[in-house]
Amino acid sequence: MSREHGTDGVLVVEDDTEIREILVELLEEHGYAAAAAENGLEALKRLRDDGLKPCMILLDLMMPVMDGAAFRTEQQRDLALAGIPVVVLSAYREAFEEVEGMGVKRFLTKPVSLDTLLSVVEDEC
Amino acid sequence: MNPKHADEHEGAASSPLSEGAASATLRRSSEPVDFQLFLQCVRDYAILMLDPHGRVQTWNLGAERIKGYRREEIVGQHFSAFYPREDVEAGKPDAALAVAQAEGRYEDEGWRVRKDGSRFWASVVLTAVRDGAGKLVGFGKVTRDLTERRQAEEARLRLVQAQEALRLRDEFLSVAAHELRTPLTALQLQLERLGATTLPERAGSLLDRATRNTARVVALVDTLLDLARITGGRFALAHERVDLGAVVRDVVDRLCGQATGTGAHIAVRIPRPVVGTWDRLRVEQVVTNLLSNAVKYGEGQPIEVEASEGGREATLSVIDHGPGVAERDLERIFVRFERAASVRNYGGLGLGLYIARQIVEAHGGTIRVESGRGAGARFVVRLPLDPPAPAEEAR
Repeated sequence: MSREHGTDGVLVVEDDTEIREILVELLEEHGYAAAAAENGLEALKRLRDDGLKPCMILLDLMMPVMDGAAFRTEQQRDLALAGIPVVVLSAYREAFEEVEGMGVKRFLTKPVSLDTLLSVVEDEC
Repeated sequence: MNPKHADEHEGAASSPLSEGAASATLRRSSEPVDFQLFLQCVRDYAILMLDPHGRVQTWNLGAERIKGYRREEIVGQHFSAFYPREDVEAGKPDAALAVAQAEGRYEDEGWRVRKDGSRFWASVVLTAVRDGAGKLVGFGKVTRDLTERRQAEEARLRLVQAQEALRLRDEFLSVAAHELRTPLTALQLQLERLGATTLPERAGSLLDRATRNTARVVALVDTLLDLARITGGRFALAHERVDLGAVVRDVVDRLCGQATGTGAHIAVRIPRPVVGTWDRLRVEQVVTNLLSNAVKYGEGQPIEVEASEGGREATLSVIDHGPGVAERDLERIFVRFERAASVRNYGGLGLGLYIARQIVEAHGGTIRVESGRGAGARFVVRLPLDPPAPAEEAR
């Protein structure tokens, strides 16, 4: 699945170290490149300063410094970044109302199954 | 305190009160006689006259009720009898009269004492009464017992504090549940990854059990979270087209895949699709709760699930042939934390049916149980196919 962006695999944006590392590992195990950021601000740095071009962003909502919603707002304002598809992965099921306004591709709730996660990544990447 | 002490103004100070007697002021006024009757009959306020020295001249029903003295016991006594001893020693009663005399009125809130020695919180107004020539004739005293009002205020305060405590608890419950989800997510993903590797045979079955129990913890945490959401009024539904038959079959597959220990067989009787606009995850939760209960309490007997639609409404029935539910428990089992079976013998949080009802009612539907001792139980859920109008949706 080729896209305009998307040669650099998945960008995992998640503040919990355990989950972040597990996600990166398992993506790599399944043949995807993976990069990580622990909050929205870090993610922007990786995208802008490091020139990362992921095929998809896996975005947690509740993070310190810059949360998922704030990151998404920034991303949408930036023409260079706005086209990267975003899949939200959140522990808060009620967040679906908030997420509706964010224009994301999918909304997954934690805990998420391996199969679901991999099939979503396959769709986007 | 000599009631017979003669003094300057007309007779009222020394004569006992009789029905026709009135204070000096009233006799001089052109008030109708039934005004006096009104004063006598008022129950909620002690309305009385004091002579210029502070001795009680008149008494009404309210005064008797509030202060406990009958008229003949108190007329002629000094009104400092109504004050607590420490106030009398501090000179409060005389000071009150002095203020009333100088400024026309004196107002106070404080403790007063009844005939039996008990205290009550009172609101008191003393008014200097003067004749046309300006001479002090006595004082009007109106006392109100604020005990009830204070008790009501205290009760209201306790209610507010209790509600706040509940809100904090629910908020905490919500935070705790979300915090628990994070390591559980990591745990589940790791177990899944472990399962995808090549494992020695024994390790495989150990892993299965670990995975199942992790799922049980996740389910418990989800239940706690639901409870916090429901009581906190944050219970929202995500509507989509849902085929009830498909949901039931998924749940049955999942339950049969888990070791239930009772070996009960679940027969699904859903001949045609039953499609409505509901919250898929929540409807699945209802089906799961009902079927888990049927398995748990069904004593290994067969279980049937039926679903059909008619009149823009879907009907789902879960039938077991276990010991059934006693009539007195039919409504009780839907109440939070209630259960008809003992806590020790059957595990769980006692929230399954409560949450099921909340979900069903949030969809505008109903859930009830038909049962009899020894006759099994039939749980019937009715769900409108279309979502209720926004104003009707619960919470």
